[in-house]
Amino acid sequence: MPAHPLRVAVVCSSNQNRSMEAHNILSKRGFDVRSFGTGTHVKLPGPAPDKPNIYDFKTTYEQMYNDLVRKDKELYTQNGILHMLDRNKRIKTQPERFQSCKEQFDLVITCEERVYDQVLEDLNSREQETFQPVHVINVDIQDNHEEATLGAFLICELCQCAPCGVRDPVRGLGLVQLRRRLRGGQREQAGAGPGAGSPDGLLHQLDPAVAGPSA
Amino acid sequence: MASDVREQAHGSVASQLHSSEEDRAFDMTTSEKVVELLNQAALISTEEKLIVLKQVQELIINKDPSLLDNFLDEIIAFQTDKSIEVRKFVIGFIEEACKRDCELLLRLIANLNMLMRDESVNVVKKAILTLSQLYKVALQWLVRTKSVSDMQEACWDMVTQLKEDVLALLDSDNDGVRTYAIKFTESLIITLSPRTPDSDTPKKQEGDISLDKIPKDHTYIRYDTLCDEGKLALEQLLKFMVHPAISSINLTAALGSLATLARQRPMFMSEVVQAYETLHANLPPTLAKSQVSSVRKNLKLHLVSVLKHPSSVDFQGQISTLLLDLGMSQSEISRCTPATVQPRKRLHHEPYVEGKRTKMVEDDDDKEEPAPVVTPKPSSSSGTQSSIDLTAEFLLPLLNPENVANLVLISMVYLPEVMPASFQATYTPVESAGTDAQIKHLARLMATQMTAAGLGPGLELCKARDEEVKEEDGGMGESSSKDPLIIRKLSAVSLGQAISVVGAQQAAYKSPVTEEAPQIKKLPEPILPTTQPKAPGASGRKKVFKLADVVQPFSEAQIEKLANMAIKRILQSEKAIAQSGMSHVRVKLLARLVTQFEGGKKNDLLQFILEDMRGRSELAFSLLFHEYNEYLGQQPSGSLDSYEHCLFTLLSGLQEKPEQRDGLFTKLVLEAPVITDSALEVIQRYCEDESRVYLGMSTLKELILKRPSRQYQYLNVLLNLSSHEKEKVRSTALSFIKRMYEKEHLKDCIEKFALTYMQFLVHPNPPSLLFGAGEDTEVAASWTEETVRQCLYLYLSLLPVNHCLVHELAAVYTEAIADIKRSVLRVIEQPIRGMGMSSPDLLLLVENCPKGAETLVTRCLHILTDKVPPSPELVERVRDLYHKRVPDVRFLIPVINGLEKNEVIQALPKLIKLNPIVVKEVFNRLLGTQHSEGSPSMSPLTPGELLIALHNIDSSKCDMKSIIKATNLCFGEKNVYTSEVLAVVMQQLMEQTPLPILLMRTVIQSLTMYPRLAGFVMNILARLIHKQVWKYPKVWEGFVKCCQRTKPQSYNVLLQLPPPQLASVFERCPEMREPLLQHVHAFTPHQVHSIQAHIPASVMAVLEANSRKPEPEPQPELHHPEIIEEREVCCDEAEVATDLFFCFVMYIRV
Repeated sequence: MPAHPLRVAVVCSSNQNRSMEAHNILSKRGFDVRSFGTGTHVKLPGPAPDKPNIYDFKTTYEQMYNDLVRKDKELYTQNGILHMLDRNKRIKTQPERFQSCKEQFDLVITCEERVYDQVLEDLNSREQETFQPVHVINVDIQDNHEEATLGAFLICELCQCAPCGVRDPVRGLGLVQLRRRLRGGQREQAGAGPGAGSPDGLLHQLDPAVAGPSA
Repeated sequence: MASDVREQAHGSVASQLHSSEEDRAFDMTTSEKVVELLNQAALISTEEKLIVLKQVQELIINKDPSLLDNFLDEIIAFQTDKSIEVRKFVIGFIEEACKRDCELLLRLIANLNMLMRDESVNVVKKAILTLSQLYKVALQWLVRTKSVSDMQEACWDMVTQLKEDVLALLDSDNDGVRTYAIKFTESLIITLSPRTPDSDTPKKQEGDISLDKIPKDHTYIRYDTLCDEGKLALEQLLKFMVHPAISSINLTAALGSLATLARQRPMFMSEVVQAYETLHANLPPTLAKSQVSSVRKNLKLHLVSVLKHPSSVDFQGQISTLLLDLGMSQSEISRCTPATVQPRKRLHHEPYVEGKRTKMVEDDDDKEEPAPVVTPKPSSSSGTQSSIDLTAEFLLPLLNPENVANLVLISMVYLPEVMPASFQATYTPVESAGTDAQIKHLARLMATQMTAAGLGPGLELCKARDEEVKEEDGGMGESSSKDPLIIRKLSAVSLGQAISVVGAQQAAYKSPVTEEAPQIKKLPEPILPTTQPKAPGASGRKKVFKLADVVQPFSEAQIEKLANMAIKRILQSEKAIAQSGMSHVRVKLLARLVTQFEGGKKNDLLQFILEDMRGRSELAFSLLFHEYNEYLGQQPSGSLDSYEHCLFTLLSGLQEKPEQRDGLFTKLVLEAPVITDSALEVIQRYCEDESRVYLGMSTLKELILKRPSRQYQYLNVLLNLSSHEKEKVRSTALSFIKRMYEKEHLKDCIEKFALTYMQFLVHPNPPSLLFGAGEDTEVAASWTEETVRQCLYLYLSLLPVNHCLVHELAAVYTEAIADIKRSVLRVIEQPIRGMGMSSPDLLLLVENCPKGAETLVTRCLHILTDKVPPSPELVERVRDLYHKRVPDVRFLIPVINGLEKNEVIQALPKLIKLNPIVVKEVFNRLLGTQHSEGSPSMSPLTPGELLIALHNIDSSKCDMKSIIKATNLCFGEKNVYTSEVLAVVMQQLMEQTPLPILLMRTVIQSLTMYPRLAGFVMNILARLIHKQVWKYPKVWEGFVKCCQRTKPQSYNVLLQLPPPQLASVFERCPEMREPLLQHVHAFTPHQVHSIQAHIPASVMAVLEANSRKPEPEPQPELHHPEIIEEREVCCDEAEVATDLFFCFVMYIRV
């Protein structure tokens, strides 16, 4: 039994859909997982594409839920936002911003390339202390409910296929294998829905900077 | 005590242990507690062991460090534990312990050394991490101690040895270990190099030791050795980086390390930037596509972070070039460039763009008076750097087109079969090909490669270090002659794009506008600060060239004029460029240029396009798209005006052109990103042009179907055209609308429009809308046939497709004024016929027949049954209507042929009372003598029956004159009422009792028509005598009249009359007697004989009697002139009025 379970962070833009879906599934499978967003605000679809609902990261899911119920219950029930928020508030109270978290992780999974860039930028801007590496893997997921579910399973598979490897991914079941499996999965995904991640949607990066001070 | 604890531990499970231990925590000393925990740790599982051990660590390091020494051995003993995690813990413990008490290094360093050779890579990694901390700790510790003991020496030696080992691990088999080794190297280099004022040191490492804190006179630690070691480590790292098979993870780590180095130790910036350059040009071919993209991302990120460092000022040229290549835009780059360039006292590295001169001076300085703090640059790296520069300088003039072409051709042979992923990912089309900047970049790239391969003049120069000054003098001459060149180029570029535009080759066309910006922004910075301090030193030999001194800025007007001329030239060079096959470039260029200018040029270009729209359509599209792009670029505040103007001008131009058959208009409309309102107006005008209406509307239709976002707007245009006054426009529009009506989503809209228009009919005056815009004032106009039709065109064309609309018409109809009603009745024929009588909605209309819509319904009925016999359903509806709601017999006429015989007979009295024309129609229907030919007459009555029915009409229900007129109509149809038919009729009538009043009239009429019936009539007459015809006064009268007309044949009949009646005859017609008498006398004897037998004496007496006897039955009102005489009868006035309208209803034929 490993000394400490794999510490996973799933990061998307608003910490609502993709990261929370993965958070949900990973925590059900027993992973030590946290989820984050990298955006400056939490954005949820509004009545029109150019009128999103914008909250800050301090707003709880509960508050968002109530706010949307008040605004247009029908609309947000119909597009699944309320359902999503309901799910989220059962998992944790409010969205969290990756840049504000100083915890250490073994594996950071991002859900789109822009987020990946932001995570890298943030990690690189931190001061080095422990020199502990962290894996940052991007899994391109389109921001909708279906793709989020598919993506969450993919991420779960990714985490599962290297139970020891992730803690020491360079040894044993190497990343090459991991990557191969993930690519295979992505190809499936690409077949399943249009716009799913392209084969090179996977970017792997081993970052020497540390996601926080050592405990 | 310890044994106590152990005993207890033996008997307990882990959980109990925890609680019991907590219970006693209060009354135990720290020492006791540690002992107990350590004892537990020996026996329990790894998981719990770690927890326990961490507690121990906390206790002896933080709570009571005095215990550290006591328990050190016990904890270190765990380094042989089976569990990797426990061994890792031991390493962590060593680190913490040594940080707490440096003296412990003496004892623990050997353990670390041992763990460094552990079989588990995880342990090794942890050891490397720890070593990077402890290395600093050890160094600091030794520096502090003035007199170093043997032990310490040995310890330091071991640390040094360990350091060497880790550096060697850069070649480890394990990727992860290599990564840790890279990070270790990074921190080692930082430690072993001096911190300078411009170092960008993280706050937490503020207190860390670095080379500048090491005294040069230390007894044991040698400043120079350490310095060299640091440089060596850097070299190793750099060498590691250029390994062709480096893994992407290592590369990522190394890139990050280099960035850290550059920021914390700016003295290495030159090496770092160069390493980045080299890497960028030589990405390892082993990388997969996603890895290449990841590495490039990292490279960009780190370059930006380096660029942000103030010391990067000398490398901005290289860094920006790299960043541009990595896909960053110039504006982003300049945002990351430090805003204020601090003038630096000393320039340790030559700037990129500037010529050799500065550098040479600087290098001289370096040599003559080395900085007190700064280490002299490692000669090898300095040599590499300058040799690259030198080689680049050397190559630059050689890179003329001819040479480059040759190089390309030669290297073709060496290209691999398959394009490597790294190349594929990094390749971007060379945007600025042929420009000075690009040639310089190329020269530098080649120089990098050549130097790496050990070739090139620069390398040779550096090897002969002492000859350098002379050598570089030559280079200086070269560069000084080149400087003005660069500047001249710059001035040209910044002052007028036109110069390079016209005659230049493909490369110059690409995008002059966008490329100039970077050069203008980027170049001056490095040039100015470096040229100025140099000037005095240059001893006035060369005059410094300053752009501002020799040129005057153009005035606004001049600039404008030059720009105009340039664009004009491009416009006019159409043919020449087309021949060279570069017209697409010209098109793009023009569109881009013109989009950026305001006003006049735009119109010029549009005019130019319109002169030959077909030939220049590509230009038109390009311009349009650029305009739109411009608009999108200015979102959200951008205005569409400019785009709208462009689209409008193009479309109107096309619309006004007389002949344009190739669909260019359609193409333009359909490809335009947005159709603006004014453009829509042009489209409408196009559609209104009779010669192009079809094309116009097809375009409109495409718009409606393919641009769903504004389809209702487009549809409205089409709908408006459906009431257009030009017939062709209108009918085309209608047919298009009809087709679109089949689309479910458009249906409602079309329907609504049609109904709205129809609703206008209830207004007292036609709405101004119908007269087109601009005539709003004319409100008082009254409805005309034309305006009514205008309101109905669309509706009527939809009606056959959607029958339920018919109810709306009924509703409008009831409210409309009489004039409109008339028009409506006139126009509905076609659509109603189209609906057919089986339409459920029509049947429903008949069934409901709204009040006031009777005429409409009747009209519908007529239209429906005009050519075809009515269907049973229709008859049923009409019958219902007639019996239950509107007992107007006129409803029955259209369906009369569908009625039962007795129904017709019942209705006859009412029918024949109608206007004569109507009656005629009824009879036509009944007799099958309609205008339609070929439709089988399904009349419920045969002609004979009809005539008989007429005779049998109860005179109380109908006045005689109507009946007479009706019978006259029958007689009018000679084709139907043949002698045979009439004979049968007469026969049947005669057999009736009582005799019909009109019997004799019919007989006489028949006789008049068919004189050959005389024999038959005689027969009838004779039989009438038997029926005592004289008892029916009117018939009797007719009888006499008939006899009178048919003399002499009737004589025999008269002779059969009983004497009183005969007398009555003579009384009426005294002139008959004489001929009859003579007739009797003229009988041959034989005849006499036989007749005598028949002619009783009484008869003879009457014949011969001269005297007048009183009549047996005087008949006062014997004369019924109306019955007998066919006079024109004047009908009741009121009746005429109502009937007239009705006749109109029946007889209008559109």
